[in-house]
Amino acid sequence: MTRSLRWTALIAALLVYPFLDRVLGLQTVHAVSDGMIYVLLALGLNIVVGYAGLLDLGYAAFFAIGAYAMGLLNSPVLGSPLYGYPWSFWLCIWVAAAVSALLGVAIGAPTLRVRGDYLAIITLGFGEIIPVAIRNLGDITLEIGGWRPIERLNLTGGENGVNPIGRPYLPGVPFETDPVPWYFLILVIGAGSLWAMSRLHDSRLGRAWMAIREDETAADCTGVNPISTKLLAFALGASFSGFAGSVYAAKLQAITPGAFEFQVSIMLLCMVVLGGAGSLKGVILGGMLITIFDRVALAQMTFFVRWIGRAVDVQTLATADLTLWRWFFFGLGLVLVMLLRPEGLAGRRVRPVAPGDDDLDSPRIEVEPPARAAALPGWLRERVPRGAAPASAPILDVRGVTRRFGGVVALNAVDLVVPRGAIIGLIGPNGAGKTTFFNVVTGLIRPDEGRLVFEGASLAGLRPNAIVGRGIARTFQSIRLFPQMTVLENVLVGEHCRLAATVAGAVLRPPAVVAEEARARGRARELLAFIGLDGKEHDLARNLPYGDQRRLEIARALATEPRLLLLDEPTAGMNPRETETLTALIGSLRRELELAILLIEHDMEVVMGISDRITVLDYGLRIAEGTPAEIQRHPQVIEAYLGTGYEREPHA
Amino acid sequence: MEWWEVLVQQTINGLTRGAVFALIALGYTMVYGIIELINFAHGDVFMLGLFVSLSWFTLLGVTKTLTGWQLVTILPLVFILTMLTTAALNVGIDRVAYRPLRRSTRLAPLITAIGVSFMLENLALLWKGPAPIAYPDVFPSVDILREWLGVDSAIFITTKDVLVVGATIPLMLALHYFVTRTRWGKAMRATAQDRETAQAMGIDVERTILLTFFVGGALAGAAGLIQGMYYNIGMWWMGYQAGLRAFTAAVLGGIGNMPGAALGGLFIGFLSAWSDQYISARWTNAIVFSILILVLVFRPHGLLGARPAEKV
Repeated sequence: MTRSLRWTALIAALLVYPFLDRVLGLQTVHAVSDGMIYVLLALGLNIVVGYAGLLDLGYAAFFAIGAYAMGLLNSPVLGSPLYGYPWSFWLCIWVAAAVSALLGVAIGAPTLRVRGDYLAIITLGFGEIIPVAIRNLGDITLEIGGWRPIERLNLTGGENGVNPIGRPYLPGVPFETDPVPWYFLILVIGAGSLWAMSRLHDSRLGRAWMAIREDETAADCTGVNPISTKLLAFALGASFSGFAGSVYAAKLQAITPGAFEFQVSIMLLCMVVLGGAGSLKGVILGGMLITIFDRVALAQMTFFVRWIGRAVDVQTLATADLTLWRWFFFGLGLVLVMLLRPEGLAGRRVRPVAPGDDDLDSPRIEVEPPARAAALPGWLRERVPRGAAPASAPILDVRGVTRRFGGVVALNAVDLVVPRGAIIGLIGPNGAGKTTFFNVVTGLIRPDEGRLVFEGASLAGLRPNAIVGRGIARTFQSIRLFPQMTVLENVLVGEHCRLAATVAGAVLRPPAVVAEEARARGRARELLAFIGLDGKEHDLARNLPYGDQRRLEIARALATEPRLLLLDEPTAGMNPRETETLTALIGSLRRELELAILLIEHDMEVVMGISDRITVLDYGLRIAEGTPAEIQRHPQVIEAYLGTGYEREPHA
Repeated sequence: MEWWEVLVQQTINGLTRGAVFALIALGYTMVYGIIELINFAHGDVFMLGLFVSLSWFTLLGVTKTLTGWQLVTILPLVFILTMLTTAALNVGIDRVAYRPLRRSTRLAPLITAIGVSFMLENLALLWKGPAPIAYPDVFPSVDILREWLGVDSAIFITTKDVLVVGATIPLMLALHYFVTRTRWGKAMRATAQDRETAQAMGIDVERTILLTFFVGGALAGAAGLIQGMYYNIGMWWMGYQAGLRAFTAAVLGGIGNMPGAALGGLFIGFLSAWSDQYISARWTNAIVFSILILVLVFRPHGLLGARPAEKV
């Protein structure tokens, strides 16, 4: 009720403002409209930086592309054959957005191998190259041995820029003389963009972006394709700057390359981080604050300080010119805001992890039984196909896999067969190559030799997310959740590869997408109930106690609808009671889903208790394979791993 | 000028440019290596180094070209004073703007670094005014080939070129010795690799970070002084461009890798000098960054940077 009231008030204020401004003679509509263009830019950058976590230091390049797309297509002055026939403004804004998006992909594509701050410097490089190119393409002369095929060709207007640029035309609307139509035009574009962004954020795609931001490797192993996801972030982020740039060009009537320098990129980044990266409200707040400070506050403050100076008769104050201190105060503001609120003005406050946290949580685990109440979700039972292939064929067949790291042979011609619906234990001393084997099967590491066949098809050359798509899911030895996402979102990322919503679908939300999303959420809740995490859907993953994090990782893996599950030390760090529950859970997965499970585990009671067969690795070599009883008596295994006296232990 | 004389001349230009870039890049790479921060304010510390050294010269009463014994007394003294000033400044910046954010997100100290950069530039503008400042010709400039060796050549090598190289190389060697052979250097390398483990081994991590900022600031100050004596001009906005080039050099070499930063600095120096000569000065920035992008596409961790092993 209050919410809708607040919305109504906000919209009314936005609609009334320009007329109020006119009545009061404030003449701020121009400045506010310009500010809104920068806010729109910051919102586009927020997709790249805030959602997908890719630091972009050259975003002004896209702004330039948008503005020049408008300038070149819609200006009557430039001399090349394309010009002289100005296109309609209404067409140009879409062309500008498309060109910017294409350029986003072009810049993104070669840089996908590059991670983190190396990516940042590449975007910075593009941000520097684009204005230089625009400056120099205003006067091109190509000379080949005295022959000049191109002489003084002006493509971009060079240092002088493009001037004039055509205004939009709508019958009866005075775009030429009045700032108010511009205000409403920008308001409409901004509101539309905001609407699209907020829908993107709460979609399959938005979750994929955040998963990449939180942990790229884990996202890849959960079925999110990092390459296409990142490219989409670049393309969509750029397309919004295409809109902003084209409107900017048409509103200003003139553009010069100086308006798109590095400082603009930095300013936009400041807007995003100052308000709170990832939060739409925060970015709007940050953008508005910086623009207002820049345009209005300093001039007003000079007036104010001089007034005080005259009042108290201090000569230095009376003649002070604060605009000279513009950058000092701006920098000071950035430093102060970040020191006081490092997560941004409207960012989600993150509790620092104190060393004592685990101690606080552990007594609670003892009290609260982690037993699961719900049964295995029905949908999972239906969705995991069984009996498609003859039951005799193994689900995973690994032959002669070898992997060397420099001089170390981490895996030496390892064979391993996982039959359908079996639990296979993989044991061995630390450094035996168990996790390396998992990494080879899930595609994180390419084997030097050997062949991997899953469900009758080779896995050679597949990226981790494609292997998840085939039906292999994994957990990690050191837990790798998406810490700043909620428990429910973590599981929903697991479902990512089984959902189909596209960008258009995520924004427009046709009934099919709405139904799919509702089904996905229902399934995730059932899965959480099954695993014993119901009631914690909206907790951040990082705030869960250790045992819950392990279980959440299994739930996330199950959400990918696997036919083979790879568990890397699932009971590590759990207390006996949790271990018991988890062992029972693994058993029921096999029993009820006929899910094949490959298990790395150091708890011999667990491994010997639930494995059908066990493979033992030592120094990358398979030293034994057999039933638990055979393994316990195997002399080499006792020597290398179990130690003498183990065989009596379980019976004691 | 024969074509090879042009090439030699431009290579010498590239060497002197690159030496200054390398000194600045070392400060970037050291700070990045230890706290993973792109220290945007570092280029401005370099710019202030130039102005501060000018003040020291003025305080010491030097307004004309140094001669004879002055070169071995006053010049080293100004080097030390300038380096101490910028080192203290850099440590102060860390204390105020970065240290409170050690456990925060990566973006927060990046923004404060940008903020500090704006503040320093504005202060320099208010201090020295908007116009370029003439830096007195304190270091004697002698045309070595013609005046000392009697060789008549179109190539122009002066004592100033020798100064740049002669000041840069000992600084780099000293840094190398410091980092690889001393207890403090060992603490720095350990902290850069794994801060928590270093702490567990009894290393005072905060003091090590402080030391890193100190050394980085000192090198930036030296670079500012050298720049001033070589080009005889200083501008309040020069820190931005130099910082950008130097940071590019650090990334090119493999950020966090000190020999890489030195190599990257020289590489960018040569590249920009050659590009100015053979293509066009107005395209140089675009060319430098295009090469940077190409290098990173094929070597995603820079020329000398090792691919960090990701533990899965």
